[in-house]
Amino acid sequence: MIFRVLDPTPEKVAAIGNPAPRLDTLRGKTVGLISNGKEGSKGFFAHMEDVLRTQYGVANVVLRTKPNYSAPAPAGILGEIKSWDAVISGIGD
Amino acid sequence: MQLASHIYEATDIAAVQELYHSNGWTDGLPIVPPTEDAVRACLERVMMTPDQLIGIEPVRGLPILAEKLAINAVMAGCLPMHFPVVVTAWMAMMREEFLMHGATASTGGCAVLVVINGPIREEIGALGSFNALGNSDRATAVIGRAIRLCLINLMDVRPGAIDRSTLGHPGKFSYCVAEDEDDPAWPTLAEQRGLPRDASAVTVMAAGAPRQIMNEWTTRPEEFLETFAAEMRANLRHYSIHPGNYALIIPRQLREHLRAAKWGPRDIAAFIHERARIHRREWADVGKGAVVRDRGDSVYPAMRSADQLLVIAAGGPAGGFGAVIPPWLGDKSHAVTLPIGACVDCEPPPSVKGSVP
Repeated sequence: MIFRVLDPTPEKVAAIGNPAPRLDTLRGKTVGLISNGKEGSKGFFAHMEDVLRTQYGVANVVLRTKPNYSAPAPAGILGEIKSWDAVISGIGD
Repeated sequence: MQLASHIYEATDIAAVQELYHSNGWTDGLPIVPPTEDAVRACLERVMMTPDQLIGIEPVRGLPILAEKLAINAVMAGCLPMHFPVVVTAWMAMMREEFLMHGATASTGGCAVLVVINGPIREEIGALGSFNALGNSDRATAVIGRAIRLCLINLMDVRPGAIDRSTLGHPGKFSYCVAEDEDDPAWPTLAEQRGLPRDASAVTVMAAGAPRQIMNEWTTRPEEFLETFAAEMRANLRHYSIHPGNYALIIPRQLREHLRAAKWGPRDIAAFIHERARIHRREWADVGKGAVVRDRGDSVYPAMRSADQLLVIAAGGPAGGFGAVIPPWLGDKSHAVTLPIGACVDCEPPPSVKGSVP
């Protein structure tokens, strides 16, 4: 007996955006850090800011923290991204 | 009815199983082959076309179509009569306040608890009595499993992919319970949440594993409810301090004591809200002193308000047992209740006054 059975997954892949152009250098740039706000993220992003400034010559580091660490960043934070040269969104747990 | 999904051919039932397992389309258990006839029967039951949009997952923007829900429901073992519950549960899960993406991706490893109320329970044989949180009956087993298979296949909530759970819990195979509505004087969960008793309804909650309690040495509500509250305090100490929707599963023996004392769900919730709270300093007692800091005197209730408690009547008739089901992450996710196949809060139809009869 031949079974004819159906694919249970979405066969059409959802469209995703294209990555932004890569930067040649971080020197003199503004880098935004979006923290999920978890306890472990505080030390992690503080250290990352230090690394970005001292080892990569980043001019400005902007730290923003999400109010809900399990939800997407709110519109206010997303709106700021366009004024940054790069953004790092990471999980610190 | 024309279905859009790709069709695979398999030579026998074993080949079907290997096809689905090898593609990562299962929960590890055998599936029912989702044939075109079986899927069409589910869609006909809810009077939906295959391309009907059930909703759009709000974080990743993924559209959920009726055909794909039906395929996964058949795989889980659902009959057409079970499908309306699956559809309504998914509509509820896609409400923004449920935060499905966070709840299903989190390291916290919760499952989606589905509670069924109203006449549909009897129509589909969802019992809510013996073994209510286990393998109580076919209907709740397959409906709960359908929720998980849909998450796996429609949202890529696979372990190690979107599902980043550290541990998870057994409810991630199936976590569905029907309320015991035998006592007409006891408000059902759906009634407590604003729906009429004669409407069938589904409530979804991002839920941890049940924590069972036992106290059959008293008939006084203040005493055995204190046991529930103590279990919630333990959860606040050992797991998460965030307040939110806790659920209490209260079987009949304890409900009879409550009824005799003229306590209903509101009285229970008021008592529990008062008793289920801890001081932050108590974290130091359980090895979490590092995060007490200077806030040791702060009080943390299990719920922000009494109405965050979900009081659920279910379980076999004998035994002074009960269960506390904690939230995934406080009220980062809110429980959602929706009626099945009815709109109880729609606007009334426009006046027909003066129109042709």
